[in-house]
Amino acid sequence: MIGGYLGAGKTTLLNRLLAEPHGMKLAVLVNDFGSVNVDAALIANRNGETISLTNGCVCCTIGDNLGLALHDLAERPDGPEHIIIEASGVADPGKIAHYAASHPRLVLDSIVVVADAETVRVRAADKYVGDLVRLQLATADVIVLSKTDLVGADACRPVQCWIESEVPDARLLATPGANLFAELLLGQRTALARRMGAGGDDHRQTFAAWTFSRERPLDGAALRATIASLPPAVLRAKGIVRLAEEPGRRFVLQLVGRRWSLERMDIDDSYDGLPSARSTIVCIGPAAQLDPARLEALFARVAPAIVPAAIAALLQREDRP
Amino acid sequence: MPGPVTVFSAKKIITMDASVGEATHVAVRDGIILEVGDVDDCAAWGPYILDDRFSDCVLIPGLIESHAHLLDGMLWAKSEYVGPVDRHDPSGKLREGLNNVPALIGRMKEIEARMADPTKPLIAWGVDPSLNDPITPITRHDLDQVSKTRPIFVLHTSCHIAYVNTATLALANYAAIKAPGVLRDASGTPTGELQEMASMMAAIRAVASDLIGGSTDAEQFYNFAKVAQARGATTIVDGGGSTYFEPAFLAAALAVTSVPDFPARIVAHHNGITVPSAQDMIKFAAMLKGEGNDKLVFQGVKILLDGSNQGFTGRLRPPGYLGTGVNGLWNRAPDELRQLVPALHDAGLQIVAHCNADQAAEMFIEAVTLAQARKPRFDHRHFIVHGQLLDESLLRRMVSLGIHATLFSNHLYYWGEFHRAHTFGAFRAAAMNPAATALRLGVVVAAHSDAPVSPVDPLLTLWCAANRVTSAGRVLGPGERVSAYDALKMMTFNAAYLLHRDHEIGSIRVGKRADFAVLAHDPLAVDPMTIKDIPVQATILGGRVFPIVG
Repeated sequence: MIGGYLGAGKTTLLNRLLAEPHGMKLAVLVNDFGSVNVDAALIANRNGETISLTNGCVCCTIGDNLGLALHDLAERPDGPEHIIIEASGVADPGKIAHYAASHPRLVLDSIVVVADAETVRVRAADKYVGDLVRLQLATADVIVLSKTDLVGADACRPVQCWIESEVPDARLLATPGANLFAELLLGQRTALARRMGAGGDDHRQTFAAWTFSRERPLDGAALRATIASLPPAVLRAKGIVRLAEEPGRRFVLQLVGRRWSLERMDIDDSYDGLPSARSTIVCIGPAAQLDPARLEALFARVAPAIVPAAIAALLQREDRP
Repeated sequence: MPGPVTVFSAKKIITMDASVGEATHVAVRDGIILEVGDVDDCAAWGPYILDDRFSDCVLIPGLIESHAHLLDGMLWAKSEYVGPVDRHDPSGKLREGLNNVPALIGRMKEIEARMADPTKPLIAWGVDPSLNDPITPITRHDLDQVSKTRPIFVLHTSCHIAYVNTATLALANYAAIKAPGVLRDASGTPTGELQEMASMMAAIRAVASDLIGGSTDAEQFYNFAKVAQARGATTIVDGGGSTYFEPAFLAAALAVTSVPDFPARIVAHHNGITVPSAQDMIKFAAMLKGEGNDKLVFQGVKILLDGSNQGFTGRLRPPGYLGTGVNGLWNRAPDELRQLVPALHDAGLQIVAHCNADQAAEMFIEAVTLAQARKPRFDHRHFIVHGQLLDESLLRRMVSLGIHATLFSNHLYYWGEFHRAHTFGAFRAAAMNPAATALRLGVVVAAHSDAPVSPVDPLLTLWCAANRVTSAGRVLGPGERVSAYDALKMMTFNAAYLLHRDHEIGSIRVGKRADFAVLAHDPLAVDPMTIKDIPVQATILGGRVFPIVG
């Protein structure tokens, strides 16, 4: 879900995302085609409410029934891997995300709210839309600050501080280039980013990844506490882990900004021939902010102390009076 | 060659004309009023046919429903009404409200028993458990009592919730569906309640696909007009959600309304609801210019500014909704409205603006102020629809800009107690829909039902404006009650004025259309609390008598 007030820059990001050769089948639902600006060479065909692109993506208008538009996409046999919904500038993105997630075949990945660095503070004080702009920011899993290049770093810093005070625990990303934005949204290295190396097409900012890996099952309670206290620099995390509480099953960790889930996989180990007991978690964030030492320290507590059961029993016996 | 002259006699004719208030006879030829007076006055036009079947009745100008939606006609056409509120169906028969689950199930069993094809889904609408006594949820177990094999789909009056039985759950494969909108019981089985369109879409696709997509069925237009006619309306507004700009829909609408027995006039607003841009709105309005017929005209472009007060989505000025202080949602961004309203105004269009709560109205007033500064226009008759929390300062600004209003007076009755307890609190509930203040300040005010939100029943709406009584019997803001005469004027002349039709309809005057409602009693003479119960005997539309069937 992409939200943000009118003119914040949602469409600019979506246009860049559609044109980006990320190698994934995306469906982008927009309010109207008027603002969609895709290179004509990329358009395979245009049919009423749908524009099909040569890279396998489609762009559809929501029309007057989002439920119907979502349903038709979700039920397509060759449906998209991701649906990106552009909320209208006055929508509560949380409400629409909840609505969309009520469709049986869809799972909510994240709510990204775009804020215009130039105008967001004025908007947030406006009598007609102030409450709405603040609501949109508060709903965001990740806030993308747009037009920071227009404003300049000096003017931008106070805006970032203001957002951080307005939205506790905000996850902020300043003016990402297309591939960074794709990476943030889709949770994986895009083809372009891979081809061009970590830098991609964006020289101001790059994403870095930090990986945590253990052979032994993790302490579930400690892991949940750690995820909940990750620094704002971690914009995405993914992982497949074993937990001491149920070592026979794998759990999937998904994190986008402030939203995260740790869910038991329904399939058993033999299903996909991945018998490994290993737990792996990858954290992704802006290279300049992601601090490996801090993450090492945070994750240190999730690996249970290595105390063989026999010794533990012995220690316990010795404790007795 | 002029047609024959018909003279209708009545116990009393209330003209709602400023110059001549009362009469006993009205002469009509070719759908137009020739004379209003006594029988001798009418005889001046030569030989006539005397129609005295209403000589014991009271004739008033045909009532005007100034805001409703064609969806109402579609729901009557495609589904069975089973809601908790009394509604008259298209035949004029009263469908009494079913305000508990056993009564609902009983009625649905009767409907089911009459259905010949055992595979045909039973589609119903209008339920609202919050108005039931006791308030209990509707589940698949309840609906399974109606049928275990026939798919059942019951739509909530808000259209945001549906209730289905086990057969529908199975047909649409809800067992495999994991979604928050599909409510589940302790065992994990769906309860049958589906919240929001996204979660009910599988069921709609499987059993009730008639309810979505632009139907061109004639029946929806007939039902829309018949429901209104049964309650004395001769003109009803289709409030801007329809797609007359689509050739097939327009052709269907023109065909059905040109049939002589089509029972009401439709004034359709241009669609500024699902049409996103000013450019397209202006283009479609230009396309429809000159289209229409005697019973279908296009007037005004309808735009939405906010949501609904009972849904907590109206845009309020501070202090916001009762208790929480939260505010509702804009339908269009204020920055967009500052462009859109002047663009429509410049294009010479009349703007019909849905502003449910006061901040939305303030925004519209601000946008019209911009438009008037850029290009002053006289007699544009832009008007606010709902305007439930207008106050004296907003109304005075409206007067100075030429903005008028149709108020949602029915809310006082249906949701008055709810607003007092949950949305607005005591003061604002008592100040809702301030018809008396608006009239005093010179705003041309009408009132409406917003059907299907509340039933099309102009006499009930008139009664609400005159009495301001809630369903629990409490009078909200007695100072805003209007006289029966003013209330009747709201539902006739004033509504005609808002629709730019006051030269044709809205009063009984020589030269105007012969559109009348025939009442059993004089609405200006009875106790105002009984106005809603006055039987409607017939309507007369362009001189043609349409009896009440039910």
